Amino acid sequence: MTTVTAPAASASPETAGPGAREQSPRRRRFPWAPLALLTPALIMLVVFIGWPLVQLIVMSFQEFGRAQIFGAPPGFVGLDNYVAVLTDAEFWAVLARSIALCIVSVIATMVLGILVAVLLTKLGAVMRTAVSVALLLAWAMPALTATIVWGWIFDTQYGLVNWVLTRVTGTDWTGHSWLIDPVSFYAVAAIIITWGAVPFVAFTAYAGFTQVPDEVMEAASLDGASGFARFRLIVVPYVRSILLVLLILQIIWDLRVFAQIYALQSIGGVRAETNTIGVYIYSVSMASGDLGAGGAISVILVAILLLISGSWIRTMLRQEEQA
Amino acid sequence: MNRKLGAVALVGASAVVLAGCAGGGTPNDTPEAAELRVWLVGADTPQEARDYLVTTFEDENPGSTLVIEEQQWTGLVDKLTTSLSSNDSPDIVEMGNTQAPAFTSSGALLSLSDIEDQLGGSDLLPGFVQAGSWDDTLYAAPYYSGSRVVFYNTAMYEQAGVAVPTTLDEYVSNGVALAEALPGVSGVYFPGKDWYNALPFIWENGGEIAVQGSDGTWEAQLSSPESQAGLAQVQELMTKASLAPKDGDEAEGWVPFRTEQSATYSAPSWAYWSIIADEDQAATPVADITGYFALPGTEGGAAQVFAGGSNVGISAKSQNPELAKSALEIMLSDEYQTILAGAGLVPAKVSLGDKVAAATPELAAVIAEAAANAKLTPASPNWADVEAQGIMQDLFVNIANGGDIATLATDADAKITDILNG
Repeated sequence: MTTVTAPAASASPETAGPGAREQSPRRRRFPWAPLALLTPALIMLVVFIGWPLVQLIVMSFQEFGRAQIFGAPPGFVGLDNYVAVLTDAEFWAVLARSIALCIVSVIATMVLGILVAVLLTKLGAVMRTAVSVALLLAWAMPALTATIVWGWIFDTQYGLVNWVLTRVTGTDWTGHSWLIDPVSFYAVAAIIITWGAVPFVAFTAYAGFTQVPDEVMEAASLDGASGFARFRLIVVPYVRSILLVLLILQIIWDLRVFAQIYALQSIGGVRAETNTIGVYIYSVSMASGDLGAGGAISVILVAILLLISGSWIRTMLRQEEQA
Repeated sequence: MNRKLGAVALVGASAVVLAGCAGGGTPNDTPEAAELRVWLVGADTPQEARDYLVTTFEDENPGSTLVIEEQQWTGLVDKLTTSLSSNDSPDIVEMGNTQAPAFTSSGALLSLSDIEDQLGGSDLLPGFVQAGSWDDTLYAAPYYSGSRVVFYNTAMYEQAGVAVPTTLDEYVSNGVALAEALPGVSGVYFPGKDWYNALPFIWENGGEIAVQGSDGTWEAQLSSPESQAGLAQVQELMTKASLAPKDGDEAEGWVPFRTEQSATYSAPSWAYWSIIADEDQAATPVADITGYFALPGTEGGAAQVFAGGSNVGISAKSQNPELAKSALEIMLSDEYQTILAGAGLVPAKVSLGDKVAAATPELAAVIAEAAANAKLTPASPNWADVEAQGIMQDLFVNIANGGDIATLATDADAKITDILNG
């Protein structure tokens, strides 16, 4: 394209040529097109995530109570909010509960989701459509609506579960509260969360499973590999990256779960013993009107979630390098 | 992401539609015509009063419209905190009298001093004016009051052979006796979250929720021996006399009563209308066999019960303060307050007290008896935070579940003291 200048003439064309050709476009033209394509997304991110995040971090260093919400100027208090939060035993209890609920829900979601995905690969067209529609309906149901309906199912007096248990076991379950005991409360919560999350895992995993080449599977079965061995040794390695992404997304979603817990608390149970981190942030910030402390907890949660997503992004990048 | 986008689109679309509606009026009058949003909480305000407010306001302010948006009592403090500070604030908001200080003290509401006399001035219920004032300025006017009255099923009392109790101890023992005599029926319907109905037991035994020392600091008193005696009575009722959900709340508590699943039901006086008629205004099985009495005290007479009720204020962020003031004046007018009185509420004006009597004579005597001895929660702006965190509800749910009273009360005291001293 450009004429090679004097020094290049003295050097051998094999070495100078490609080097010059590689550098020249970068020098001549800034890649505006990718940037232009990224701009709308960047603006959205800055406006809807970046700016609130900055405000949140600022707020976490301020005394920001109800008076400040309604216009009084907030004062900076240094690390006071963080010290107060981190030395509060309740915060650690809430965090531990959230992590425990997250672990149980994520394992249940992944196992059930993958099982349903395997089921989808085995079913005929009609049944597969039926299962898909059922999954879609569950996925389309808003979390709040779903929780209210599940609340009716587990209702103390008129609930379906108590009625069925009374019929099946012969003892009277009417009046048994499923939410008053924290462990039982979390069991119900985990069921609701898992129920809502399984469709996404099932569909995504199913999409992955269909990409496994049939020849490989056929060859394996000719070699005498059992169904489970084929799944474990062939299918899983093929879709490992998909499963990993699903796992990390589920961890992030379940750790910050809000609607299901908040709605369940309004149905029954003891609030102080059933708060998870999302609800706790809301309770501290809104119910108690202490946005400073709420901000500090949120920043801590953001840090935890960033660590998790960081590992996700690192894995993704590593896989891209390998590819 | 798609669902979120859809929701945004829907909100946008409805905003356009609503804007179109609002623009339909003729903006020729002063103050400028607009749509006024009024938040009423729960079903307490009768439909007749709502209709009166809308038509009167729209007659007085041609071109303007008034929309009543009904809110829930559950989570009200959170919701008011977020909505009153947003740019989409409602114009007029109702709030519980015990919740009012959280908003009057924080600048969320517009000062009403300039229209205090038009609203009723010294005729307004003094305790509620106090609850709605901060630094001697009125921010939230009294809306209505109502004390708790005990309703009972006369047929069931007869069947179980118990009489109307004359002391609080008898009320408790009656409840247990009724539950034993009538299988499947609550002697007293008492769900765990119904902490308002639990307060008289603390007060009647000489206890307090919290007391303020001379240096202004608060100290919660639920673990005092007197309070614990009261809590023990509550536990006796909740565990032995009540079949209500241990972690249920008091909403729609009239349903078990009117379906004859409970013999005794303590509730705000206006619950009467929901007891004798169902949603379709059909008479219920208990319409002719419902009796009422004021909760008896330890020594006889009426017990000190919780003085429930509401205050109503104008958002500091209201776009139409003049219109809002004119609507507030309607809500505190003699006509409007008389409608409330007719529904069994105690009106916000002392001079209208006898209108309750005109509505339901026998019940009115009981309401007056209970109201004369009514009492409030600790007068601290931070009390609303105790309510918002559900500390009292958690305490009584645990008590209903058979927990150890001394431990639970001590835990609750620590939390309440901490919150009240901010």
